[in-house]
Order: sequence, then structure tokens, then C-alpha cells
Amino acid sequence: MEKQFPVGKSFFTALRDVNLDFGEGEFAGLVGPSGSGKTTLLNIIGSLDQPTKGDAEVMGKSISELNHKQAAQLRNEHIGFIFQTYNLLPVYTVFENVEFSLLLQNHTAAERKKAVMEALDWVGIADKAKLKPSTLSGGECQRIAIARAMVKKPKLVLADEPTANLDSKNSHHILQTMKKLNEELKTTFLFATHDEKVMGYLDRIVKLEDGRVVEDLVNEKLKM
Amino acid sequence: MLKFIIKGILRDKNRSVLPVMVVSIGVFLTVALSAWMRGIFGDMTDLNANFDSGHVKVMTCAYNENKSQIPNDLALLGVEEFQKQFEADYPEIEWAHRINFGGLLDVPDENGETRAQGTMVGKAVDLLSPDSKEIDRMNLRKALSAKNASRLPQKQGEVLISQDFADRFGVKIGDDVTLFGSTMYGSMMFSNYTVCGTIKFGNAVLDRGALILDIRDARMAMDMEDATGEMLGFFKEGEYEDVQAKAIQASFNAKYTQADDEYSPTMVILTDDSTIGMYLQMANSIGGIMVFVLILILSVVLWNTGLLGTIRRYSEFGVRLALGERKVHIYKSLLGEAVVIGIIGSVLGTAMGLWLAYYLQETGIDFSALMNNVTMMIPSVYKAKITPETFYIGFIPGLFAVVLGNALAGRAIFKRQTSQLFRELEV
Ligand SMILES: Nc1ncnc2c1ncn2[C@@H]1O[C@H](COP(=O)(O)OP(=O)(O)O)[C@@H](O)[C@H]1O
Ligand SMILES: [Mg+2]
Repeated sequence: MEKQFPVGKSFFTALRDVNLDFGEGEFAGLVGPSGSGKTTLLNIIGSLDQPTKGDAEVMGKSISELNHKQAAQLRNEHIGFIFQTYNLLPVYTVFENVEFSLLLQNHTAAERKKAVMEALDWVGIADKAKLKPSTLSGGECQRIAIARAMVKKPKLVLADEPTANLDSKNSHHILQTMKKLNEELKTTFLFATHDEKVMGYLDRIVKLEDGRVVEDLVNEKLKM
Repeated sequence: MLKFIIKGILRDKNRSVLPVMVVSIGVFLTVALSAWMRGIFGDMTDLNANFDSGHVKVMTCAYNENKSQIPNDLALLGVEEFQKQFEADYPEIEWAHRINFGGLLDVPDENGETRAQGTMVGKAVDLLSPDSKEIDRMNLRKALSAKNASRLPQKQGEVLISQDFADRFGVKIGDDVTLFGSTMYGSMMFSNYTVCGTIKFGNAVLDRGALILDIRDARMAMDMEDATGEMLGFFKEGEYEDVQAKAIQASFNAKYTQADDEYSPTMVILTDDSTIGMYLQMANSIGGIMVFVLILILSVVLWNTGLLGTIRRYSEFGVRLALGERKVHIYKSLLGEAVVIGIIGSVLGTAMGLWLAYYLQETGIDFSALMNNVTMMIPSVYKAKITPETFYIGFIPGLFAVVLGNALAGRAIFKRQTSQLFRELEV
């Protein structure tokens, strides 16, 4: 697969000759220096962007063939996103932020409440449900973001630099949380990161450099 | 989802306060100004109708052609009979006879010698018939001076003179005055009256030097038995109806006006006077004009505040897209927010506007100091008029402008690539 961005009159190739395969339940990471194309690849897999050449197949669906509506539906039903900057909606409570994912689907208020509380429970902040994100720490915010991504029980979670704004204690905490969810719910996790701490948790590390895959190794130490 | 939108608006002060303020100020101005303008133009129309032109007016053809000279020698004769015929033909109209004339008013001293003398515009109306509506039409009770023992004429021979004239010549209540003029047939006439009251209409033209007397007195003095200068017709319903007036005019003139007889009656209607026609049109269209202007201004302002708001909210839109919301859906929710904000702003603005309009309706603003030299029949206290329109008119620009503003601002969502919108939240 290849991805080009128009830059002025010419093009900038952000991804080239990328040929990867991720299996269900993987806990894998795209690793590489800033500008190596990690986010670009995550966005394509997340159907937020389209490849220029080649294709990406996600859960049996060809990304380049999805229209807006189908792409939105794919994200809504199967993909959860976690960002470096949490991107919580500041005017809503913790509960409402997590609930938002479900509002786009047809659930009754009772179903939503049950699912949201369960998700907050997974990440250990059920007691903060009624608070506003602005009153919480960065680590707590990222846990809300994880709850928001997980509440609809997606098959795939894409996490772009989830630990970049966190200290090491909080980083380890959320990584453990995600690893636990990966094991219990069989959710596939795909990270984009250049954080050493994250790499320690990954089962598989795909190294990117200037848009190319330069290494793809399975972390044998953790596999055991 | 709607609940979510409303919660968002209520909690996000940045998102709601500014637009609500902009909308309510705009709506406030529309409501108050349109009620005020409507009141002013309506008052101008009424003033002209009540004092001068009626809703319709019947004169002889010759009188009409020379009306600027108030030619009572061309007055309509046989008015008793005409009155009966008109009443039968046009039951929706009630009639009032009026004689206007010019003259000299002489104020004698105790020896009967002239103490002061001034020109005077006389208006003879039916003051004494118990069922006459003329006192109300000319608002005479309110115009009576409160500074002295002024009262309305109660018998023939009693007259009202304008306060200005009385002040200028030191005329007091109970003084006798002599009117010099000419009869309908052109001979000299003079006639004595007692001043029973002084009046001030608050209109420069009317207040300059007016004498108001009962039409019987004028008929007697001017030899105008069974004659009148003008017959004013008013719709019994009270409001002027242009379409109906035009129809009545056409049928009247076809029936009564004879091309070869310049003494045959002819009818003119209120809007034949182009200035009044314009007042009336303004009174009826001012709301529409204000709404149009306001939609233009408000939408541009709200478009810009909306743009700022949208840029500020890219991260929110990015997240919502990532969660699987469609762009169209986000766009629609922006329009939904606009409706909610528009309604809140319009309700607030209308309430404030009604409050000011009510004040302006009851009290008005007095411009008389500025209007000493005005020669038009316009009121000097400018009052508003609250109509049913006042209650809903603000909602049109209020809602329309926010929705339009957000609709324009929200296009940014579509203009950007999804991943691009998204990238902007990664900074
Ligand atoms: N929309 C875009 N237009 C132009 N260049 C882009 C665009 N998006 C990303 N790029 C470029 O592609 C390269 C890879 O970006 P990105 O995937 O964000 O890298 P990473 O996430 O690994 O830091 C960078 O050099 C970046 O400048
Ligand atoms: Mg990146």
C-alpha cells in the first residue's frame, strides 16, 4: 500500500510498500520516529483516510471502496480510537463522554447506563462518573478515553501515542489496563508510539522509517 | 441526541452566550423598532385621516381642484339629501361634515376696541350632537389645556382656540373674540364667540393658530345652511382599508360625479395623497423591511461567530467522526443547536423588545422641540404600536439568521478531509 499527500504542486509520499497483516486479538504497535507515517497508517486502518495505491482490508471491508456512510458505520460499530490528547468533550461529564459512543447506536437509556458503568469499571474510575474531565488528572482522562473506545466493545482499538502526555506511573497503569482488556475481551489493539514503555507491553513491533516498514518482530519475551 | 445538544449549549458558555446575545439584541431591535415605526407611521396616517382627509372625502369637483385655497364658495350643497343617499349606498362608512376656512380673529378690550388681531385657520366640526364622534377623532379632550379652566363647547357660540394664539395675545377663558371672514357667497361677515377653552394638539401645523367651533355656528355665520366644504367618511370598523376604499371610490365617482357639472360631488381617498399612501405602506411593510435588513446583518455576524465556534470545536468534531458519526449528522446537529439558540435568543429579545415597545406605546418620545417649523401633519410625540406582529416578528430573523450563520460556518466540516479535521486536533 502507498499513501501520498499533495504538497504544493507535487506529492509527499508518507507510506510506501507497506504490506502488513494483523490478526485478531493482537497487541501490536507501529513504532518509529516522528514523521515516519504511523498516524497516517492508523488513520487509513481507521477508515478516516484512504490509501493512494493498494488497499487496506479491515474486518473484511476494503477501505478504498467504502463511502462516507459505510466508513462511519465501520468506525461506529467496530473501531475505537484513543488519542495522545484524550480529546474528551469538556462540557460533558465523564459518564456522558463515554455514553456518547452509544448514542449513535440504538440503545435504550438503561442499556447505555449499564454499558457505560461497566466500561468505567474496567478502567477503574466508576466513582468519577459525574465529574467533568477538566477536574481530573491526565491519567484519569486517558482512562476515560479508553472507556469511551471500549464501551461499544469494538473488535479493534487504534491508539495513537496514548502515553505521550502521561508520566511513567500513569503510562504503565493504562497499558496494563489495555493489556487486560485485550486478554479478557480479545480486542485487537494497534498502537502508534515511540515510547519505550509501550514497547515493553507489545506482542509485536512494526518499525516504520520514512514511510517504509523496516522491521516486523514478534516480542518473544512476552509471548512466553 | 437532542438532549445532548441542549446540554452542550447550556453548559458551553462560549457556544451559547455570544450567539444568544447577538440574536437577542438583534431581535430586541427588530421588535422595538418595528413596533415604534409602525406606531409612528400609523399615527401619521391617523392624524391626517382624522384632521384632514378622512378615510374617504367627498367635495364638489371644483372644490377639489382648488382645495389649497379652501374655496367655500364651491361648497357642496344639499348635504342633508346626499348624506341619506351615501348612508344607503355605503353602510360601512360614517360621515362627518366639516368646513375649513381662513379668517381674522380680533380680540377686543373692555371698551370694544381691538386689542389684538391675528390670522386664524378655522375648523368647523360637529361638536354638539350627542352622538358625534368628532371630539374623539380630533382628540379634543386630551388637547384641552390643563393650565386653565378649559372645557369643551357646550352650546353654540362657544369656541376653542389654540394655546399658542391665546398665549400670544393674552386671551383668557371666557373672553369674547370676533371672527372676520367671508360668507359662502363672498360677502363680508363677522361673528362673536366666547372662548371656552384653549387647545394644544402637539402638532406644529395644527397648533399654529386654530379656531375650532361647532359646524352650526359656521353655517350660520357663513350662510352655509345645508352646505359643507367637505364630507369626510370613516370606516365604521375603525381601520382604513385601502382595497375597500378604492372600490367605494370607483363606484361613488361613477354614480355621482358628472363630467359636465363642476358642482357634482367627487370622492378622494386617504391614499390619493401620495405622502399618506407612503406612510401607510411603511406602516404595513416596516416589519418586513426590518426583518430583511436584520437577517442580513445578523447572519453575517453569526456566520463569523459561528466560524470561530466551529474552529474551536474541531477537536469535538474530530472525536465525533472517529466515534462513527457522519459529517451530515454533525452538520445537522449544528443546525439543531442553531434552532435552540435562535429560540432562546428570540424569546429573550422579544421580551425585551416588547418591554421597550410598551413603554414607547404608553409614553412615546417627544420630538416637539425639533418640530417648530414642520409643515407636515406629523405627530410630535412618537409612539409605538404593539400589534400581534410584534410578538412573532423577532423570531423570523432570530431563527433564520442563526440557522443561516451556522449553516455557512458549518460547511467547514465538509470542506476538510476527515483525516485533516482530525489532524487539527492532534496539535
Ligand atoms: N495531510 C497531510 N498533508 C501533507 N503531509 C502530511 C499530511 N499528513 C501527514 N503528512 C506528512 O506525512 C508524514 C508522516 O506523518 P505522520 O503519519 O503524522 O507521522 P507520525 O505519526 O509517525 O509522526 C509527515 O512527514 C507528515 O508531515
Ligand atoms: Mg503521529
